[in-house]
Amino acid sequence: MRRRLGTALLRLFTVQGSWNYERLMGVGAGVAEESLLRDLPGGPTGTAYHSAVARGARYFNAHPYLAGLAVGATARAEHEGAPPEQIERLRTALCGPLGSVGDRLVWAGWLPFTAGLAVAGVALGLGWPAVLGFLFVYNAGHVALRYWALRQGWLRGLKVAGALQAPWLQWAGRLAGPAMALGTGVCLPLAAVWLAGAFEPWARIALAAFAAAGLLLLRALPGHVSGLRLGLGLVAVALVAGWVWP
Amino acid sequence: MNVDVQLALLLWGTLVGLDLVSVPQIMIARPLVAGAGAGLILGDLQTGLRLGVLFELFQLDILPVGAARYPEYGPATVAAVSAGHLFVGPLSLGVGAVVGLFVGMVGGMAIHAMRRRTARAIQRAAPKLEAGDAPALIRVHVGGIVRDGLRAAVVTATGLALAWAARIVLAGALTSRGAGLLAAAAVGAGIAAGTAGALRLTGHGPNLRWFAVGLTGGAIAAWLR
Repeated sequence: MRRRLGTALLRLFTVQGSWNYERLMGVGAGVAEESLLRDLPGGPTGTAYHSAVARGARYFNAHPYLAGLAVGATARAEHEGAPPEQIERLRTALCGPLGSVGDRLVWAGWLPFTAGLAVAGVALGLGWPAVLGFLFVYNAGHVALRYWALRQGWLRGLKVAGALQAPWLQWAGRLAGPAMALGTGVCLPLAAVWLAGAFEPWARIALAAFAAAGLLLLRALPGHVSGLRLGLGLVAVALVAGWVWP
Repeated sequence: MNVDVQLALLLWGTLVGLDLVSVPQIMIARPLVAGAGAGLILGDLQTGLRLGVLFELFQLDILPVGAARYPEYGPATVAAVSAGHLFVGPLSLGVGAVVGLFVGMVGGMAIHAMRRRTARAIQRAAPKLEAGDAPALIRVHVGGIVRDGLRAAVVTATGLALAWAARIVLAGALTSRGAGLLAAAAVGAGIAAGTAGALRLTGHGPNLRWFAVGLTGGAIAAWLR
């Protein structure tokens, strides 16, 4: 079973490979779960296996790093002979919590925190070691989280909800917000000063004006103005202004 | 234009594009990493890091949750570095930003189109999937990854072609004052996007205090440097 769990873990790194607007990451989760289902009664040609594979590939969504919790838990439930309706209910019930916990912990915590520190490191002159450090530190957390999720799912089966109450997860959840705020806060002034290093004084004043106007627009019209639209708009204005102002 | 270098950039941009969502999400898709990699390939790490930092600020504005649609700044940064290298100072940032922002938009649209195609492929395979046909399931999944790889390659190739054109057109058309203004607009937009994104993540609760502490610390460090 260790080998099968290893295969499932590797496949979980591709869990969003077939992400789509219909089943979301259902197909990817099904592929990861498939390797854990081969020992079901009757083997890969049996009815239990085919039914479980079909269930595993239906609609599912979660944070990709925590998807293993659902994959492991549903595979274990299949092995324990839980009724199909109960397994489907478990999958559906896990979507929300795994999404919100993962988003809060990783997308809105660990990732912006480590990326912010990397940007600060580059701006302070550390160069490529800051980038390598980011990749190493970020992925230490990333891979550990994927491994933990699959292992807990497989160990707990239908009682997997208890894994989300793990003390370390609660603690990390509480730390993620302040760490992200601190990391992004540190990086912004350092990045601004570093990027404007080669600017003439008038260009620094223009930069401050663009940044202030842009922030005002982004805060005042959040549904209409995004960072990309603001960037495209401002560079278009600057291109025209630069062309008429020789 | 060295073909080997362009091919290496194309390969790197494709890997970066695949990493964003499909495989393996180890964050080489982050602009800072994508930019540093492109800089190393071009032998111009400094430009790679500068444009990487710039697009990392834009990236802070994005929260990739659920079915959200967002621009793709990884291959965009690779194209931006290709556009900006060999130029110095503000011109490098400005030309790179123009190309990168446009390619970021194209990348986001390409992701949306690819997801619709993948959904159609899954609809076609639905009877087999409902029958628990594992080879069909794996085929559909691998098909999605291959589709994303092709998408990333096309986006990167488009970006590299745009970079080549932008280097010729913009470098000839911009005065030094125009280049300064363009770079100021790009960096200003990046700072605004990064700040707005960070404030959105931070919210109005106690995290705002930590954000203020970070800003103060960063400002002091920048001043001391």
